[in-house]
Amino acid sequence: MARIKKKGQAGAAKNFVTRNQAIRKLQLSLPDFRKLCIWKGIYPREPRSKKKVSKSSTASTTFYYTKDIQYLLHEPLVQKFRDHKSLEKKISRALGRGDVSDAKRLETNASRPEKTGKPTYTLDHVVRERYPTFVDALRDLDDCLSMLFLFANLPSTSMVPAKMIARCERLCLEFQHYLIVSKSLTKSFLSIKGIYYQANIQGEDVLWLVPYRFNQRIVGDVDFRIMGTFVEFYMTLLGFVNFRLYTSIGLKYPPKFDAVKDENAAELGAFTLEGKTLIGGEEQKKLEDVAHKPDPKVQAAVNKVLKSITNGDSNGAAAEEAKNGDSDEVDQDAAGAIDKFEPAAPGGDILLQPSYNGTNPNSLFSNFTIYLSRETPRQPLEFILKSFGCKRVGWDAVLGGGAFTTDELDPSITHQIVDRPPIQASMDEDGDGEDNQTAQKLAANRRVPGRIYVQPQWVWDSVNDGELKEPHLYAPGASLPPHLSPFVRKVQGAYDPTMPLEDQEPEHEALEAGDDDEEADADETVEGMDVAESGDEDEDEDEEDEDEQDEDDEEEEEEEDHNDALQRQIELEAEMAGKTVQSKTANPKTKAKEDARKALAKKAREEAEDLERAKGMLSKKKRKLFEQMQYTNNKKSAEDAKLRSKRRKVEKEKAAKA
Amino acid sequence: MPVLRSATAGSGEAPKQFSQPSRKGKKAWRKNVDVTEVEEGLRELNDEIIRGGVIREKASEDLFVLDVAGDSKIPQKFPKHVKKGLKADEIINKRSAVPAVPMRKRPGDKTTDGVIAAKRQRTDWVSHKELARLRKVADGHHESTVAVKDATFDLWDAPAEPVAQDPTDFLPEKVEAKVPKSMKQQPLSLLSNGKQLPAVPKPTGGYSYNPSFPEYEKRLAEESTKAIEAEQKRLEAAAAEAAKLEAAARSAAEADAAEERANMSEWEEDSEWEGFQSGVDERPSAKQPKRKTQAQRNRIKRRKEEEQLAKHKAEMKTRRAQEQRIKEIAAEVEDKEKQKALVLAQAAAEESDADSEIGEEKLRRKQLGKYKLPEKDLELVLPDELQESLRLLKPEGNLLKDRYRSMLLRGKVESRRHIPFKKQARKKVTEKWTHKDFVI
Repeated sequence: MARIKKKGQAGAAKNFVTRNQAIRKLQLSLPDFRKLCIWKGIYPREPRSKKKVSKSSTASTTFYYTKDIQYLLHEPLVQKFRDHKSLEKKISRALGRGDVSDAKRLETNASRPEKTGKPTYTLDHVVRERYPTFVDALRDLDDCLSMLFLFANLPSTSMVPAKMIARCERLCLEFQHYLIVSKSLTKSFLSIKGIYYQANIQGEDVLWLVPYRFNQRIVGDVDFRIMGTFVEFYMTLLGFVNFRLYTSIGLKYPPKFDAVKDENAAELGAFTLEGKTLIGGEEQKKLEDVAHKPDPKVQAAVNKVLKSITNGDSNGAAAEEAKNGDSDEVDQDAAGAIDKFEPAAPGGDILLQPSYNGTNPNSLFSNFTIYLSRETPRQPLEFILKSFGCKRVGWDAVLGGGAFTTDELDPSITHQIVDRPPIQASMDEDGDGEDNQTAQKLAANRRVPGRIYVQPQWVWDSVNDGELKEPHLYAPGASLPPHLSPFVRKVQGAYDPTMPLEDQEPEHEALEAGDDDEEADADETVEGMDVAESGDEDEDEDEEDEDEQDEDDEEEEEEEDHNDALQRQIELEAEMAGKTVQSKTANPKTKAKEDARKALAKKAREEAEDLERAKGMLSKKKRKLFEQMQYTNNKKSAEDAKLRSKRRKVEKEKAAKA
Repeated sequence: MPVLRSATAGSGEAPKQFSQPSRKGKKAWRKNVDVTEVEEGLRELNDEIIRGGVIREKASEDLFVLDVAGDSKIPQKFPKHVKKGLKADEIINKRSAVPAVPMRKRPGDKTTDGVIAAKRQRTDWVSHKELARLRKVADGHHESTVAVKDATFDLWDAPAEPVAQDPTDFLPEKVEAKVPKSMKQQPLSLLSNGKQLPAVPKPTGGYSYNPSFPEYEKRLAEESTKAIEAEQKRLEAAAAEAAKLEAAARSAAEADAAEERANMSEWEEDSEWEGFQSGVDERPSAKQPKRKTQAQRNRIKRRKEEEQLAKHKAEMKTRRAQEQRIKEIAAEVEDKEKQKALVLAQAAAEESDADSEIGEEKLRRKQLGKYKLPEKDLELVLPDELQESLRLLKPEGNLLKDRYRSMLLRGKVESRRHIPFKKQARKKVTEKWTHKDFVI
């Protein structure tokens, strides 16, 4: 007979521990345990049945895997936490006795490790453990960057010490410097929450959100202890990531930091990037490269294989390259003109970037000298302009130090970014009101000739489209085109305002549009004025048509059959009579269109049948899901069609006017 | 008890044993112990100091002099010839030998002898601020102890530590703990579909500061329907609450009325005296099960066997039929699987697109931890606040809350709530009757 199993000896009861059990096992306090879990990446889990896990009478809410907790016992940080706990005990005992000076002595001894020989700890090994490779770290950089940029912009409070904020700011600026030098920023988006940035770092897309300045309210329902713990970890992480990124492009880390300039709010300008010492540094880099690169024989073999693969398969090749070696991006930039899809070139990152015809998108503003007016947000503009190749960015003195020029009248300025409405009333009578605050020497409404004035959105739209937008659309006072999100993935068949109509409309819509044209033409001949209205009605009809597509299809088919039979009959009769057949459809164009439509309808019908068959084989739950999905898709596509038709109408009107 | 006594002041009494007749009783209390002797001694000591120092501590040279003057008895013998001092001088000379404590600071104090006196420092002084901080530390609110250092080496490319091979070391090598597989599992996502949300979801066009009209309109409509729904729900809840309260009040009133009635009619109701009885005639009416006979058992057994056989035969038949068209079935199954995979792939592709964008997340029913996930802020610029200019933009939402919520949503931590103070013992409040304690 099998042995009788006791309750709580196996299964869930053994695999999970409650939080209190874990704390007791590790002999830590709850805040320390929380900290440790966040740093080590141990997350709360959910057992299938809570009742089977905990034996206590009160319901526990948080569970962990026993093995995780067991593993935590080996963590060297645990010892540090315990030491600190014992110190706390000593201090509280001293305070309880009234020995305040004793308590202070204990505390100062602990907080001055260099005097007492008791070291504080670092999180280096934890970072290494959680991110075994650099790519892992890059993949998790979204969260890290968002947090650090957020904390860099917080006001300092008792919960968020100024030291932490300064450190966050510094790390963020260093990271921005890397992005500028390596030109790896790809997109940016002005949202109502903040500014989104996307960069491509060594083949990984990193997206982060930076808040607007002076906007952060501290709310009560955020646990700052937890956030602070995350930030501590992420600061360590970003420090190491920065080091790696800097050394990968041959720069020295940390860059030289000028405290005086930083006091003057120079921000990016407070740092001076230094290359490694010229001779030794290069050698070192070479050595590193050798160290990184795989065995040359293997590499040669891989190259051979790659050559045999067609060039079209560039993505795979690129991935391979990215895997194979850390590339030196500076070198790549220098040789930027070479054909980009050559897999034998030692660098994957360039390959991954989309090719823009002729111009490199990351040197978009390289020939400009840009001046920022005092009402524009300097930090994001400076960062974006610099990372897209602009070397000379000047701004008003009130925006802080580190500008290329603070003189608004500098003749070398080609573009000025302004964000204030043009004032209609002339200010001439008032004369030049002297403003001590700014270095501005122009009156409110004056313009310097030979310079392009644009609103800030011009920069963002140009960057996202990879080409310079026409500045007259973004002139001060002009009504701006909408700022579209560059992160929306293009869905097949969805309306995209940036693409021409012909590229995005599906076939059946194009055909219908053609019909509409003809009808409209006919209308024009008859009653010229009502084109627009008739168009409207047509569209409405179209929509209805789409809704009742299936029924229509069937009817059409019958009609076609009928037509075919009739045609045949006529032909036969003609043959009998010995005459030539008079083709009913005189116009070959319409005929072709008719054929196309037929083919399309047939294809659609077949597809629908296939889908129906597939649907029949799904389980009920999945079928429901699928149907729901189809419903929303249809709705979306109807909306898209509506938008397209609207645009078609507008374009037609424009064409008619022209 | 030590008794202070000056050597010169003789008490005149013979030395005797210290008398303490009893240690019991009120006399032995601290306040009742006789200390006049001690006080006397102290006073004498003080007098001596005033007169120029404690005599016992003085050197003999100060106390004794070689008398080279004439006879001291002469003035007594011839008092008329001796010049008496003034009474005033006498009084003045009586003054204390101890210099007075200067009450005023004088400029002269600043001039020193060149040797700078060490400034007296209270090395053990702890300010109130510091004390408050220490108390906090003792409560476990310590500041970060993570050392802030710039990275000085490449963490991912660091050379492996050289393994020191000590031939004399006979201890076995330390075995590193293996990382459990459970550590690598993704955290528990709070989404209903169980998928991991990206750390920073991609913004759609509706979140633009200068959105295109259709996108903005769509978002506005969505948000407004959501707000309306929430308001309706709130109103419904309020109405339900009110109805419940009303019902409770009504039932309470009814119960009261019934009780009253019952009190009134206690003796008028039917009772056992009149032959009525309740709850007695509930006799079990079910028939007792009889035993099955052997014949019945046999019949049942036969029937079961027959049924089983028939079932077996039917199964075998279908199986044989299937065996004959096994290839067809295989093809069919394959086809089915393919179709299924196709449809599912389509669905998955749709979903993954939707997941990585900002939007309304569908949460799972079971929450993680004790508290609910905090609500998302409304991130929408109202139509009348919508500005085209970046300068006039009023940022919406709270990024801090957003980040925190994202952590919770991805299951990195369980949701917590700030507890501003501990639960305190409830105190019973009673009314005092002091207002009645007066007499006119």
